[in-house]
Amino acid sequence: MTEATETNTGFIAKKLRLAGALVIAGLVVEGVTLWWNHPLSFIAFIGLGGLLMAAGIVIYLLALVNPPKS
Amino acid sequence: MPTALVYAVLVITVVIAGLVVLRPGITVARGGKILAFLGLFILPVFAGVVGLDNHVERSKATTFCLSCHVMEPYGKSLHVDDPAYLPATHFQNHRVPADQACYTCHTDYTLYTGGIKAKIRGLHHIYAQYLGTAEHPIKLYKPFNNRECLHCHLGARSFEQGTTHSAIMVDIKSNQLSCVTSGCHDTVHNVSHLDQVKMWSPAQ
Repeated sequence: MTEATETNTGFIAKKLRLAGALVIAGLVVEGVTLWWNHPLSFIAFIGLGGLLMAAGIVIYLLALVNPPKS
Repeated sequence: MPTALVYAVLVITVVIAGLVVLRPGITVARGGKILAFLGLFILPVFAGVVGLDNHVERSKATTFCLSCHVMEPYGKSLHVDDPAYLPATHFQNHRVPADQACYTCHTDYTLYTGGIKAKIRGLHHIYAQYLGTAEHPIKLYKPFNNRECLHCHLGARSFEQGTTHSAIMVDIKSNQLSCVTSGCHDTVHNVSHLDQVKMWSPAQ
């Protein structure tokens, strides 16, 4: 494996970890809000869970389409 | 989608996303790439959609509406022991589903139905409840539409063939004559008089 390939793999791995952690955090928030039937749980679902999941998805997609220049 | 199935989707997504977080090296292979795409894109989007759908469904619950302080007297008015109180008699006799009592008669007024304006109003209500000042007593944005009565009563024999209603049916159906404000069924929630009326308690 060349040095450039190792750098790319490390970059992708780092982004995948971050994206995965954000998606998991968003899913956990969603799971918690589903326990609670209240207007605030909907706000938490959208404002926190949705935001975390969206951030994770965007980071993942950006890592796919925009790898570092070797 | 039932809540149990939503949780199943969440767990499966967490497991796959967790696998990618713990072992990002698996994405070097084609199978790993597909797994990452599933766990970090397809399934989270799906989980978000089914979660939103679940929240929307649960927002129809009577307990959801009555969880705001300003709605407490309206919930109390459902227990008035007087058949002249229209919401009370519908609620107590299950003419509307007891667990979706508010939603059934106020479908244009809830957070998730009635278009964008209703949604913005719903969000404003949450703001007023927790950060601002809720109007007291609350008022409908638009006059109560006969449509909310007719989606159950229309086609019912007792309603269609009854002499009182059949004589004015055209005006009722065209919303020219209001069911609740034209003097026929005008005892509705009347929350300012709740301390003067007898309350009904369901048998335990």
